[in-house]
Order: sequence, then C-alpha cells, then structure tokens
Amino acid sequence: MPPRLDELTMARRAASELEPGQVVALGSGLPVSVAAVLPPNAAVQLLSDGGALGFGASSDGHSSTGPALSSPDGRPVALQRGGAVVGLVDWAAMLRGGHVDVAVVQPARVSASGDLLGWTTAATPGLFAPGRTVDLSAGGRKVIAMLPHTGSDGSPNIVADSSPVADGRGCVNIIITDIAVIRVESGALVLSEVAPGWSYDDVAAVTGAPLVLDSNLKEIAPNLEALNAERAGKLFPNGPSAIADLHDGATVMIDGFGGPGGMAHYLLVSLRDQGTRGLTIISNTIGIARIVNFGTPAGKLAIDHSILVENGQVAKAIATYPVSPSASRPSTFELAYRRGEVELELVPQGTLAERLRAGGAGIYAFYTPTGAGTLIAEGKESRVIDGKEYILEQALTADFCLIRGHKADTLGNVVYKGTSRNFNSVMAPSARITIVEVDEVVEQGELDPELIVTPGIYVDRLVIRPEGFSPYE
Amino acid sequence: MPQGKLYDTPQAALADVQDGSTILVAGFAGHGVAERLLVALLEGGRKDLTLVYRDGPYARAGSGPLPAIENLVSNGQVSKLISPIPFSPGSGGAIEERWQAGRLDIEIVPQGILVERLRAGGAGIGGVFLPTAVGTRFEKDKEKRSFPQGEAVLELPLKADYSLIKVAAADTLGNAIFDGSSRNWAPVMAMAARITVAEAGRIVEPGELDPEAIISPGIFVNRLVAAG
Repeated sequence: MPPRLDELTMARRAASELEPGQVVALGSGLPVSVAAVLPPNAAVQLLSDGGALGFGASSDGHSSTGPALSSPDGRPVALQRGGAVVGLVDWAAMLRGGHVDVAVVQPARVSASGDLLGWTTAATPGLFAPGRTVDLSAGGRKVIAMLPHTGSDGSPNIVADSSPVADGRGCVNIIITDIAVIRVESGALVLSEVAPGWSYDDVAAVTGAPLVLDSNLKEIAPNLEALNAERAGKLFPNGPSAIADLHDGATVMIDGFGGPGGMAHYLLVSLRDQGTRGLTIISNTIGIARIVNFGTPAGKLAIDHSILVENGQVAKAIATYPVSPSASRPSTFELAYRRGEVELELVPQGTLAERLRAGGAGIYAFYTPTGAGTLIAEGKESRVIDGKEYILEQALTADFCLIRGHKADTLGNVVYKGTSRNFNSVMAPSARITIVEVDEVVEQGELDPELIVTPGIYVDRLVIRPEGFSPYE
Repeated sequence: MPQGKLYDTPQAALADVQDGSTILVAGFAGHGVAERLLVALLEGGRKDLTLVYRDGPYARAGSGPLPAIENLVSNGQVSKLISPIPFSPGSGGAIEERWQAGRLDIEIVPQGILVERLRAGGAGIGGVFLPTAVGTRFEKDKEKRSFPQGEAVLELPLKADYSLIKVAAADTLGNAIFDGSSRNWAPVMAMAARITVAEAGRIVEPGELDPEAIISPGIFVNRLVAAG
C-alpha cells in the first residue's frame, strides 16, 4: 500500500476546512496539530480548554511571553495578538451557547451516521475518559473528526453501526484520516478525497461501512491560502449605521445598572432617531434614571429607555424595575403601562441575570429558589430538590444587544469600567447581534488578555461614543 | 493560629478536613495545582474522601513518582472520584486496580457538564437543563425534556466541603487573580465549596490588586497559604 499521510498533513487538510473569522475549538491528540500548521496570520481563533482563546503554536515550545497557557493536551501555547484568557466556565458556555463554529476532535471510532465514540480501554470498558469530547461534539456547529483510518490491529475505525454508547450522536460532518477525506451526508459516508496513490477500493477495503464514491474524487492536497484573508472589520462609523438593520418588532437587550453610568446612551439615541417600533426591551430598569435623576445636572434629563417609550417604540419590557420608586413621579413606562400601551414581564434582578447567562451559555432552563412561593412563581413549574423549593426559569435571548463598554480592540474584545460591567457583560453573549459602544478602540493585542471581560467572539459591531457626548439631554 | 484568612502552614489550613469530605482539586495540565495543599492532604491521612478533579495525570505533589490523585488513592484515602478524565489513557495504575477490585467508585462526567454542575452548586441553582448529553451515554438515568431550543437533560448541582486552588496572587481578604491556564477550574471550584483554601504565589495587602482584574472575589476564598 502507498504511504499514509503524516499527522501534519492531516492537520493541514483539517485546517483547510476552516474559513476566515471562525472560532475553532480543538480537542486533544491529532487536532492540536491544527494549531501548528495554521499560517501565522490566519484569521481564525483557536479555543483551548487550557484557557486560551486565540492561540497559536508556541514557536520554541515555550510560552515565553504573556500568560502561561496550555493547549488541550497540555503543551504550552502562546496567545495571538488579541487573544484572551478564559476560564473553563467560559469555555463550556462558548461551546454550548453556539459560539464555536468548528470543533475538531479525535474520536476512537466514527459510525456511518456520524456518531462518535471517545476513548475507552479495551480491558475495562467501564472506565473511559470523555474529557472534553462530549462538549466539543455537542457544541461545534461543524464537527471535524481526525483519526487514523484503522486501529493498531488493522481493524477499521470507521464502522457501519452506531454503538449503543456514544459520546456524540450524529454530530460528525467530515472525517479526515491518514488515507481519506469522508463527508457524512444524511447517514451516508461519501469518499471525496484520497491520499496520493490510494484508490476507492483501497480505502473501502479498510473501512467498516459502505462508502459512496464522490463523482469528483480528488487527491488530498490541502491549501491554506484562503485563511490569510483580512478579518471583517467590526468598527462602524457611527451609531445609526451600526443599528440600521435593527428592525420593527425586534427583541433588544439594553442596560447597565440603574443610572446613567452604565448604558449605551449614544446607541439609545440612535435607536430613537431611527424610530424602530414594536420593540421588546430586556433590561434591568426600563427607564428609571430619567425620574430618579441621581447625579443629573440641573435642567437636564438622563438618557435612558424612557426616550424609546416616549417615542412610542416599545411594545413590551422584560424588566426588574419597571416603575419609579416614587408614586408621585411615575416613569414613562409606568404611565404607558397604565394606559395599556405596553406589556410587562416582571423578573427579579438575579433571575434576570441568570436567564440572560443561560441564553448565552446554551442552558435551556434552570431551577432557582428565587421567587419560589411568591407572585413570581405563578404559572411556573415548582419543584423540591434536596428539601428546598425551586421554580423553573427559561433562558432569554434577543435579536440585538446594545452594550456600553469602556475600551475594545478591533477584534471586539471588551473591558468595562466600574458599574457598566454589571448587566452588559452578561447580556453580550445572549443576543444574535451584539453592538458595543466604547470610549476607545485599540489595536489587537493592546488589551491585557487576562483582563478581557467580554471576548470578541461575543461582539459583532463596535461604535465609538462621540467625544463630548453627554448622557443627559 | 491563623491571622485572618492567612494560615502558617498547609497542614493548619486543612486541619479540620474530616473523613468522608468531598474535595475539589483545581488544575489543568499542571497549571494551577495547589501542590503544598495536596501534600498536606496526603499527610493528613483522612479517609473515605470524594475527589473532584480534571487534572489527574498532571497534578503532582511533592517529589513522589505518582501524580497526587493516584498517591491519595494508593494511600487508601479515597472512596470516590468524579472526573472527566479519571486517569491518563492506558495508565490507570492504582486507580484502575482499585476500581476493578470494587474498592473505588468512579463517576465520569464530561468536562463542560461538570463545570456547569459546579457553577450551579456555587450559584445556588437547583439544576440546569443542558443539551450536551442528549443522545450520548451520559443521558442515562437522567430526566430529559423538550424545550423550544431542542432536547435537554437535567444536570444536578455539585457542591463540596473544600476546594484546593492555586492562585497567582491574593490579598489578605482572599481576592485572587490567576495566571493563564491556572484560572481554568479554580474560580468555579472556589464558588462551589463550603471552604476554599488557596495556595497563593504572592500574598498582598488589600487594595494592591486592581479591582477590575480580580477574578475570584474574597467572599469565595476562605483560607490562604503561601505557595512557598
């Protein structure tokens, strides 16, 4: 038989599946080599459960500068400029929440229906190590399986039947082995590429499942040039251009905490000017700063959600503080509610934060003790767990999220200042399109990777708050 | 006697560990392993421990040939392990032996599920519906439901008596920062344990750490020892 491909060629073939701008989570084993073969300026961000988002291979085997970080298999890696240090809670949330475009895993076996099995010892099948494999299989929007085509005893690693035990079900999209590239298409395995010198028959003879022959069978010849593309820029020239596609009837998350310190005021004004209607606003307050007026200069009014309510743009609020603390000074939203013009879903503050986190982290619902036995529990499932009563709360997501950050780099990594971290950082991962209003945008690598609070993978657009812009009007 | 949260020795910081305690052990690929605390746990000789960890093959303690977890297991101190990777593939050693002999219980939990169960434990959540295990061997015996997003499995919180973490620096109030990969499991383990003991590379006065940079607030860190 002709020679089989080496690890680095397999890695190059896997890397050529990637597209500029993607977030790619790597498993241990063969997938780690993908980091080694990527062009230095490849426009993809690699994610390691070792806590690195946006890393490359360490050229000298040591992470000589920056934080001590490791690849999924424990080898030192270096952050690229614009990389961020993340914890394992973040890693899991990125995968489960649908923020990872591609996961690359090395399973022990793959079935014809795209199921995969991680590592299991032959001698003691009850002991096995799913490690990160289950999370990667479930979390990657596209899953690439890299594995030797056959085991050390020559038996096929690609098999017809699914095992009753699987670490990922129907998740594999493409299989890259040391002799072939096989696409998993609606339950069929399609042989689309072979290693030099190998034929369909050669590959089929060592495959444990039927192979459909692609009419355009090619030789494996990885090409990574496309990965050197420029990244799509995130910085928009102004507020109106950044929210131009925010449409009537959209659900929009927006809030900092209470007063004027933490809100994307410039984007709020842009949204008022745009006049978009029928909005559902998810927020902590829905326009309290304007009547509480803490710190507001005399003769001025704070800019907050009230400006959208006054303008007739809001249909519904999901909020914690919908009303004024003073009965004699009702908020704009309160007045609109009394007139029956707006709907309200009342959510306790901690539950709101947790529902927002769930939305961004791929948690569908959760049991919380907050609100059990109160009005908040009405219409919700109640359940006693370990002797304590909980109610079931659902995740919140949105079409858009308007965030107030302090500083961002061009990749969209964001740091906050004081109170504005509050709801902004938990909302950022939960919307389809997250737009951040910052004071300053710096180049990649200028933010300390240990201090990044919202990694750029959660941020779609950046807008600089105009110099001298006042949160009061 | 401890001064505030600061303990003179790792032994003193772990003096009240009881037989039967559940202990979270932080670490990823050798980063963020509280080695002095693991040595103290070994010397303390407490038995019937449940250990929750990820870093079995790498977490070393002292100069012994074996990783710390395997040392504790060999020493007969452990009755249960909860881990995504209970041992290095193909080198189960004492862990595999004891498991086969029926003297050690092992609960294998995928990494992302384990970390979310710890977060739920630390955040007072009664349970979370996660899609991760759907269709896999990890949905067995668990409640499964349909949601608008798809099917999900109920995962229950995990709490512990102690967590042993390594931090780059802490102030005497317990506010802590990390270095690179050592952040990994530590902040969530710190939340999930009744008593979190941090082995700190540096111990500084309150106010010396940038408040925007603190990852684990001191309310989650109960005891400090110097990494030495």
